[in-house]
Amino acid sequence: MRNSVKKFWSSGTLFIWLCGAGVAASLLLVGGLLLLIMINGLGYFWPHDLVELTLRDGTRVIGELTGRETIPHSKTAGNVHGKTRISLKVGNRDLYGLDFRWVDEDTIVSRATPRDTVALERREWGNFYGRVKEVRRAGQAIATGGEEAWKALLAVVDQANETHATIRSIEKGAIGDINYEIEQARLEMRELKMEGDATSAEIDRLEAEIEGLRARYQRHVTALESLYDTLHEHSVLLVDANGREKELAAGQIIRALRPNAMGVFSKTLEYAANVWTVLSDEPREANTEGGIFPAIFGTVMMVLIMSVAVVPFGVLAAFYLREYAKQGLLVKVVRIAVNNLAGVPSIVFGVFGLGFFVYALGGTIDALFYPEAFPNPTFGTGGLLWASLTLALMTVPVVIVATEEGLSAVPREYREGAVALGATKFESMFKVILPCAMPGILTGLILAVSRATGEVAPLMLTGVVKLAPALPLDDHFPFLHLDRKFMHLGFHIYDVGFQSPNVEAAKPMVYVTTLILVAVVILLNLSAIALRNHMRKKYRGSAV
Amino acid sequence: MTPPIDTPADWVEAAPRRPIEPTGGGQAVASRRVRAFVDHTATATIAAGGLATIFAILGIFVYLFVEVAPLFYSSSMASIVAAPVRTHSGAGEQAPQSIVTGVDEYLEVAYVVATNGITFWRLPSGDPLGVEVAALVDHGRVTAVARAGGKGHRFGLANDTGSVVPVGIEFQSLFTDGLRTIQPEVVVGRPFRAVQQGDRITRLAYGVRDEGPVTVAVTERGRLWLTKAQEAGGLFAFKEKADIIQTGLKPAPKAPVTALLLDSLGETVLIASQAGRMYYWDIQEAESPRLMGTYQATREGDFVTALSYLIGDRSLIVGTSAGEVSAWMLMLDPDRGSDPRLEKVREFARHEGAVTVISPSQRDKGFLTADATGQIFVHYLTSGQTLVEVHASTAPIEGLMFSPKANGAVAVDGQGRLSAYTIENEHPEATLKTLFRPVLYEGYDEEQYIWQSSSGSDEFEPKFGMWPLIFGTLKGTLYAMLLATPLALLGAIYTAMFMSPTLRAVVKPAVEIMAALPTVVLGFLAGLWFAPLLEEIFPGVAAAFWVVPAAIVVTCVAWQGLPPWFHRQSGSLLELAVFMSVIAGSVYLCLAMSHRIEDWMFGGDYKQFLQSVFGTAYDQRNALVIAFAMGIAVIPTIFSISEDSISNVPRHLIAGSLAMGATLWQTLWRLVLVSASPGLFSALMIGLGRAVGETMIVLMATGNTPIMEMNLFNGFRTLSANIAVEMPEAPHGGTLYRLLFLSGLILFIFTSIVNTIAEVVRQRLRQRYSQF
Repeated sequence: MRNSVKKFWSSGTLFIWLCGAGVAASLLLVGGLLLLIMINGLGYFWPHDLVELTLRDGTRVIGELTGRETIPHSKTAGNVHGKTRISLKVGNRDLYGLDFRWVDEDTIVSRATPRDTVALERREWGNFYGRVKEVRRAGQAIATGGEEAWKALLAVVDQANETHATIRSIEKGAIGDINYEIEQARLEMRELKMEGDATSAEIDRLEAEIEGLRARYQRHVTALESLYDTLHEHSVLLVDANGREKELAAGQIIRALRPNAMGVFSKTLEYAANVWTVLSDEPREANTEGGIFPAIFGTVMMVLIMSVAVVPFGVLAAFYLREYAKQGLLVKVVRIAVNNLAGVPSIVFGVFGLGFFVYALGGTIDALFYPEAFPNPTFGTGGLLWASLTLALMTVPVVIVATEEGLSAVPREYREGAVALGATKFESMFKVILPCAMPGILTGLILAVSRATGEVAPLMLTGVVKLAPALPLDDHFPFLHLDRKFMHLGFHIYDVGFQSPNVEAAKPMVYVTTLILVAVVILLNLSAIALRNHMRKKYRGSAV
Repeated sequence: MTPPIDTPADWVEAAPRRPIEPTGGGQAVASRRVRAFVDHTATATIAAGGLATIFAILGIFVYLFVEVAPLFYSSSMASIVAAPVRTHSGAGEQAPQSIVTGVDEYLEVAYVVATNGITFWRLPSGDPLGVEVAALVDHGRVTAVARAGGKGHRFGLANDTGSVVPVGIEFQSLFTDGLRTIQPEVVVGRPFRAVQQGDRITRLAYGVRDEGPVTVAVTERGRLWLTKAQEAGGLFAFKEKADIIQTGLKPAPKAPVTALLLDSLGETVLIASQAGRMYYWDIQEAESPRLMGTYQATREGDFVTALSYLIGDRSLIVGTSAGEVSAWMLMLDPDRGSDPRLEKVREFARHEGAVTVISPSQRDKGFLTADATGQIFVHYLTSGQTLVEVHASTAPIEGLMFSPKANGAVAVDGQGRLSAYTIENEHPEATLKTLFRPVLYEGYDEEQYIWQSSSGSDEFEPKFGMWPLIFGTLKGTLYAMLLATPLALLGAIYTAMFMSPTLRAVVKPAVEIMAALPTVVLGFLAGLWFAPLLEEIFPGVAAAFWVVPAAIVVTCVAWQGLPPWFHRQSGSLLELAVFMSVIAGSVYLCLAMSHRIEDWMFGGDYKQFLQSVFGTAYDQRNALVIAFAMGIAVIPTIFSISEDSISNVPRHLIAGSLAMGATLWQTLWRLVLVSASPGLFSALMIGLGRAVGETMIVLMATGNTPIMEMNLFNGFRTLSANIAVEMPEAPHGGTLYRLLFLSGLILFIFTSIVNTIAEVVRQRLRQRYSQF
């Protein structure tokens, strides 16, 4: 027996098992994380059923079931498992103050999922759960009672949404243009005054222009006011679970659902509509509701500008290091330094970006080219350009390393062959080596993009904001506004998850953003891995 | 890691520079020229672009250094002007306290308040400004001038009738054609009687409260009078006589009074006597002043000649007749009730002559001292340093003021000469000592390492101890590495040695994907999902650390007991599935039994248990959460590099070892791990570098409290998170801004060292083992 124990011990099987457990644990961590994100993120879009609980004291609660747990310290001799309670999202923040509520399960008399309960997505105060009693027009009931009122409500909400779309197009389009033009005229005037050579005619012209713009602005505002009035024309009388009434203007409602009356098919349709809303809409309620389109757009813009900056320089540096520079101690040291830089914490780049790009470079640009905007900084504050450049600097080592790897994988015979056929060095580089190294360069770019997409810390210092007033791309010259601040998916997670006043209500939104971000990053990485494998296969045979 | 492939650069260099062409006509020659030109241009462009890129990245280090360097520049003081001013109404006797000087915040207009009136001087020219108010003297001959503490320029002028005239100077900025001129204006208040009829004031302390002035006056007969306005009556006037309360401070010290000091709230007064003692009075209740304590402030024979509070009234600067300058702090002593106790905490560079004036800065904890030999020193309380020493005059300095922005000073000497200085003193609060040594801060009773960079008021003493941040960084790194290292290394060994290639091709990228997970995601999950969950199921998690390994061991033994045919059948996929289910099962068991474990092991409430046994409270966002979250961030880095280095151990070595009869275990332990050790080492180093600089996870999942406790159950603040938290609020170019750059520089240097060591060790050891 002792012998076999000894044999077992010395064979090291146990250690091998522990090793296996290490892999297994790591895989479980990855899998668990991804699963967690997917469940929470994908579940957000599904229209959940509404339960109506009748409690022992006669009151009722309507809400979405969100969790169940054992009440801490509730175990007694008579009840060894302890009592349980469920948490409900009861919405109606304007009536109850809080969106969530715990209900002890032993106080529940009955549960039901009545078909006439409605879930309303509102522009303010979160969701409303309850029933529709009446639809009114200018205070007069036009439809009363369950079905009838519901149908009327749907029509009214559609109409209100159309009005909102009109209002938005006026606000963003026409009024936005006017504001922009007024600002341009104001700056031009200021510039003329500062130069001191302003003829009065010119100033007068600009002033008249501004006056004209203001008049146009006023006309739009009047139009808007009447549109806003129509939003209040219809209203809906709602009742909550306990019959408390609440009158809501139709313009406040974005979407009305009766989840309990919906089948799987209509829920799936609703699911798709929700996904589209999140991807394409603007945020509402301090980013905790609505969509995340500006964040997606900002992330994409930043990554694009970064790529434009990082690829040429990274590739040039790699070509220089591997193909042109004399291989010696110096190049070795430089290579170690570049490698090191890939390991420098991202926040350090953020600090550098703030100090060098924003304050030093941006401050100088402002002083030279935008004196008329003083004291408002144009480039002397965080913005899209500086954030992109900071990230470019952070990711340039990745591109250099990957490109070098790609270059080193190109078989020596290719170079020899090219030169033997009479190509100049540049020709052999450009026509033979570069195409062969392309997968390496692409891998580097994809890795750089994936790192930049998920990076938040340096952006917090160089130009990301929780809510950007305008997208960095629009129809005003010069179309791409590099000085604007922008929104970013990663910062959205940080901001909504940790800075919003109602974290519990904001959580689903954060999970959705997380899901999108993770999906993008993983896709990018998988494509990098696939490219790398492809490259290895392609040259393995020839590189003898 | 793949060995470096012999680069062809040198070889290509040797290739013919000029393109080889079949000899032919002029067209071929031209084309050859063009091609050669293109080639040269390309070479130049690539070299320039490459070098520029490399320099740009290396320039980061230089730039960080450039931003940090000003922190440690030494301070300097430069004379702007020296102009003669008339400070006495005539020859004859001169009162001990007869001159006050000052300057506006732009260092453009200086003033001198003396017994003969107020004069203004334009700086830097030194020309008289022509505003001269001799009218003050109408009320009687001025015998003493005292400045009120705090911001602004307010004085009390005592005259020989026993009255005090409140005087204020205000500076107005006038703009004409965009040029700024400073216009001073004198406001004279209604005089009030500060001592009883028939006595003369020889020394005065003056203060202004919202309710009106406060004075403490010493008379010729050696008596001390406290006069205090009790209700709001304007800044310079009493509405009614009844508002004034006048009390004698008794017993007055036997020896003559040499210095007086009121605090800015008018609640306490310090009286120094020629016997070297200081009497600390509570005058909050003007009717019943109360002596709170007596202190021997000097050695035998010396006495206090100048007193001043620093901004905030928590530190007291004492100057003596022997030229000593010391700082005293108000300590709250629980034994003594609410009465503060004065304690000497620091000594500064000593003057050659008796200290004559002390002037505190209105922005920070700096102050100026001047002496009877004409020297002026600049000191800083927190660092205990004397920053500048200037020989301003040969005569005693009688009036002195630190400019409102602490960037200059004016002084008047005994010969009636006004001198003005600019002071270059950007970052006095940051010295190696204040950054890296424990410091006694205001309001604390012992030296401590504290990081507390800002607060709403100017009176706050910034605390820039870097150790709590460095400590937090190392703490987070340590716990993350403790969790990540075993998992990653063991996993790498298994993947490289025992896994089938097909499975490995899936597993390795799967773990590496984890490296790409944005850390903001990990931080969010750790802070908002895991931390609350862990708080609930901590007993189960604690048990899992023991149960899971035990379960592995038990399953392993049981597995050995299975029949041999089964072992032959099973592949690594099955084994992996078994590992996973064992781990998942035992973890689930632990978590499900969490409450029961809490009952068995921790007496029903683990928080109480931790409190009573270890004396620590449980914070929800703690180091354990970070260990998991940052562990997940670091595992893939370590895993990937160590897996590479293990699988690069030559197969023939392993085959040879096994052929010689060594067991798998022996081969692994004595051959593979030894050969791969440099790779494993550098994997750990690179993992360490990543953990040190991680920002978002610690920012989101710790409480960001800069405390120095190794405890697993409370939070911490790291250098990186500190940058993220404080940089948005740090004014450009300020001390905090530069200190955050210093934090960045520390991180940069630390990770560079770690990564370089990793790289160098790997290369050297690779050479050594490559001969096997």
